[in-house]
Amino acid sequence: MLGLARTVERRWSAAVKPDQELIDEALSGQVGAFAELASRHRGSVERLCQRFFSDHELARDLVQESFLKAFAGLKTYRAEMPFGAWLRAIVINLCYDELRRRRRKPEELVGDFTEPELDWMQLVNTATPEEIVSAAEEKRHAHDLAHRLLDTLRPDDRMVLVLKDSEDMAVSEIAAALGWSEAKVKIRAFRARQLLRKQAERILSAERRWAAR
Amino acid sequence: MNCFEARRDFRAFWRRELSAERREAFVAHLRECSGCDGAFRNFALTAPVLHSEVEPAGHREDLARVREAVAARRPAMAYRTSAPRRQWLSMSAAAAMVLIAGIMAAYLSISEPVGNLNDVLSQSEPQVEPVVELFGPVTPVARVDQGNGFAE
Ligand SMILES: [Zn+2]
Repeated sequence: MLGLARTVERRWSAAVKPDQELIDEALSGQVGAFAELASRHRGSVERLCQRFFSDHELARDLVQESFLKAFAGLKTYRAEMPFGAWLRAIVINLCYDELRRRRRKPEELVGDFTEPELDWMQLVNTATPEEIVSAAEEKRHAHDLAHRLLDTLRPDDRMVLVLKDSEDMAVSEIAAALGWSEAKVKIRAFRARQLLRKQAERILSAERRWAAR
Repeated sequence: MNCFEARRDFRAFWRRELSAERREAFVAHLRECSGCDGAFRNFALTAPVLHSEVEPAGHREDLARVREAVAARRPAMAYRTSAPRRQWLSMSAAAAMVLIAGIMAAYLSISEPVGNLNDVLSQSEPQVEPVVELFGPVTPVARVDQGNGFAE
């Protein structure tokens, strides 16, 4: 029985190597080890990039760039921190740089809605909560409009909002990843929510006025 | 259900994670409370990005690209082979690198390059010798070299 347990354990450990083992192998020149590491963490890296950018090609480029940077800096990785958290810090900084590069001005958002976006806004104004949730799952423009709204935030504010609300990161984790103080993270989170609420109220009330004409 | 509880449940409701009983209480509260109802409608505008489960696109070729680019840089790291084999490998590696560099150059010319990454990257010291300049100079993330990728 014990023998069987040991065999199972051996097989299991042979099948799933810890990240650190793969990192050591990658550092000794085994490309396959880094590919395995990348494949293991790809999902979370992709998800994070997609929370920031609706452009899939850009998100894909950022995913790739993240892994290349991780590979280039692998020698500096220290095992006190999980590899996933270290990698996430790289992704966060890449996305942050990209957000700063391409920020849209708030005024570009207003009065520039497509017909399907207006339909979606009308639905959000008038449907029941359950209908809204069901409709959002099918509507690509619900997703696009959400990105456009988030595009109006300052990069700092948007970073914090996504990391805190979507990724459930603690204030201290966000502060460490971005090299900010915790106070700055809290202020940005507060400001982001406030601005977003204002923007949302603004466009929903504009839609109501438009519908009432 | 009170307002605090209702607002705490926004995300769980959005993701359909509430029990039937809790969902009913949530919907009933929103029907009665215009403040929470309005807040939920505001929430719904950004929830498709902030709170929906994002399906990773999972492009197989993305990983293949990472693998190729990493393979092209491998000689900068530990690399042990016998001399004649090494010579043969270096010739085929050089040919492969030229091929990969060509593919990547073509790829990069049709897709937007990622930001001003090189400007950012050039702010820190190189840690790995660049082998093939697929993505410009290879240097680590600005904060990677200060401890574990985290600045103080
Ligand atoms: Zn309420």
